[in-house]
Amino acid sequence: MAVTAAATGAADSAVLFRSRVLFVSGKGGTGKTSVAAGIGRLAAAQGRRTLVLELDNQRPSLTGIFGTRPTYAPVEVSKNLSIANVVWVDALGDWLEAIVNLPRVVRLIMRNHIVSVFLEATPGARDLVVLWRVMALARSYDLVVVDMPASGNAVAMLSVAHTARGLFEQGPIRRCADDLVNLYAQADTRMVLVALPEEMVVNETVETARRIGADLAPLRVPLIVLNRATPPSLSAPETTLLSALLAGPSDGLAREVLEAGRWEAELEVATAESQKRLTEELKLPVLVLPVLARGEGALRVVGQITAAMARVSSVPVDLRGGG
Amino acid sequence: MTPLVDLVQRQRLLVCVGSGGVGKTTSAAAIALRAALSGRRVLVLTIDPARRLANSLGLSEFGNTEVRIDLGDRTSTGELWAMMLDAPSTLDDVISRVAKDTATRDAIFANKIYRHMAGSFSGSQEYMATERLYDVYGSDRYDLIVLDTPPVKNALDFLESPGRLARFLDRQIMKWFLTPYEEEKVFGKRLLLGTSAVVYRLLGHIFGREFLDELSVFFGLFRDLYDGFRERHEAVAKLFAASTTSFLVVSAPTEPSVDVARFFLDELRVRKLPLGGVLVNQVHSASTTVPDVDALLGAEARASDDATAGPLLARLGAAHRRLRDLAALEAGRVEELRRAAGSTTWVRVIPRLQEEVHDLAGLLRLHRYLFDGGS
Repeated sequence: MAVTAAATGAADSAVLFRSRVLFVSGKGGTGKTSVAAGIGRLAAAQGRRTLVLELDNQRPSLTGIFGTRPTYAPVEVSKNLSIANVVWVDALGDWLEAIVNLPRVVRLIMRNHIVSVFLEATPGARDLVVLWRVMALARSYDLVVVDMPASGNAVAMLSVAHTARGLFEQGPIRRCADDLVNLYAQADTRMVLVALPEEMVVNETVETARRIGADLAPLRVPLIVLNRATPPSLSAPETTLLSALLAGPSDGLAREVLEAGRWEAELEVATAESQKRLTEELKLPVLVLPVLARGEGALRVVGQITAAMARVSSVPVDLRGGG
Repeated sequence: MTPLVDLVQRQRLLVCVGSGGVGKTTSAAAIALRAALSGRRVLVLTIDPARRLANSLGLSEFGNTEVRIDLGDRTSTGELWAMMLDAPSTLDDVISRVAKDTATRDAIFANKIYRHMAGSFSGSQEYMATERLYDVYGSDRYDLIVLDTPPVKNALDFLESPGRLARFLDRQIMKWFLTPYEEEKVFGKRLLLGTSAVVYRLLGHIFGREFLDELSVFFGLFRDLYDGFRERHEAVAKLFAASTTSFLVVSAPTEPSVDVARFFLDELRVRKLPLGGVLVNQVHSASTTVPDVDALLGAEARASDDATAGPLLARLGAAHRRLRDLAALEAGRVEELRRAAGSTTWVRVIPRLQEEVHDLAGLLRLHRYLFDGGS
């Protein structure tokens, strides 16, 4: 299938690779993790030391993609590319150690019933500590790609920085919140939303992008990824002929073949409409990733995303390096 | 009667769980509609921060109040209501009801920690949803509540949330924070000894002294509400485990959503929560025969547009191949779910519909796939 991803200028997607911290979110099931992994592989292939992160995921999805379970400590999966899972309890230990600087005291605190319950139950403390770890890791890599929770939850999680500033006037939590707000404001911190060519997914993507603008400004959203797209390729006469055949009498297998044609034509229309809506309503460029011919393993998806993005970013990439 | 029809007519609470993008909200709405059409008074409730339910019911937007959906003359006794939970006002509602007087209520509303807790922090939303669920359940205004939960990670929080705030308001912790506060009032300075002093100083260091002071005030205000809260948590936990409650695991035939569905099947088993059944939405189907497209459609196509016929026929062949591949792949995933669900649990396969569901007519089209025929 022809890749029409070039509809988005090379400059628009190249911006992703100039980031230091890249949050990837979107409605559940849109392929966030694959897109995050694809961006990570491509950046690594370009020679940037890259880390792809999951946040406190009990069943890390990256495992299926790279064949290696991401642990709290980053694991290198290929040249320049590492993956990790920011387990909150481990992050808490590291955070306390950074503050208190006495491992024995940290162990004491972690064991103390009141402190552990307090930290676990204080709304927001968990998110702050996890994001603190993301910032800490970002210092050791050229690019950190963060596979975030689904749309609304991702915005809520990142908003914790702003709300904590209203709550904590001093101390390490406050400093952590300040650092985060500072991180969002950096020119090389970005958030990408992954959408599918479906009406409700587009609705949610538009809403999430607006919430980011309202709640997380000045965090930059440089583009929207339209995943599993079927870019228009039927010509006008082909469309007309298909409609004529569909309107005529047919049954059995002939009907099913025509319905398959209708199905694909509708996917093309949905892709065009979604791309148009996202562009017009959000005034953002849309990176279109065509659907795979066969829905095979996750690694193939990553490879395809990597290839599609390499084409639009017009950077030569050696794809043999990854995974 | 299919097992789902039975649940819709008999149960009082149906909880839909599953990953995002699998049509969970649409399923919840369609199930609620069916119950309403069979004469029951039904509320479909979403705690999803996105406005999917409004979308699938054809509403532009709705909020923290119950909105009645106009069913026209489709039913005489049944009612369909919808509500989306909006965390801050829900917490306000709860406080207004449980606070012993308006002065306490206003003091709580004015407390900085309360204000932030009420909505800005992720996590408190799920807790408040259970509170609200408990309210509407207890009101007896509905025969059935269909609950649509947010995607996986939060849905687990949702199952855990009754315990989580209870731990935050743990009496031991409250006492621990209140004691220094009260002693300060009596003695004019903090009297802290032993481990408590070390821990308190550390927490003060981490969170800031002002915060701990605010927290003491917060706990002081909440002290009287504590028992009421705990009772409610226990009631909600009991409600989830009741024989009149069923969890429905909703999935799509995609790899990630099947993973999540299997995860939920395990979790429900471990937590001993009642599993109703499994819905697999958006499943493609195609015959396994490789069609001779030219023999089937060639003559007809060439008759109307000879120049275009060739390329289009090739395209149709490719489209059908793509559909076959997809259908085969999805059938394998459905099988995988059947094995995970076990032989005693029903798994219902719903075909992918031509158009997206975004109104009552769309939900009605779903009904024959959800409810008709055997299981």
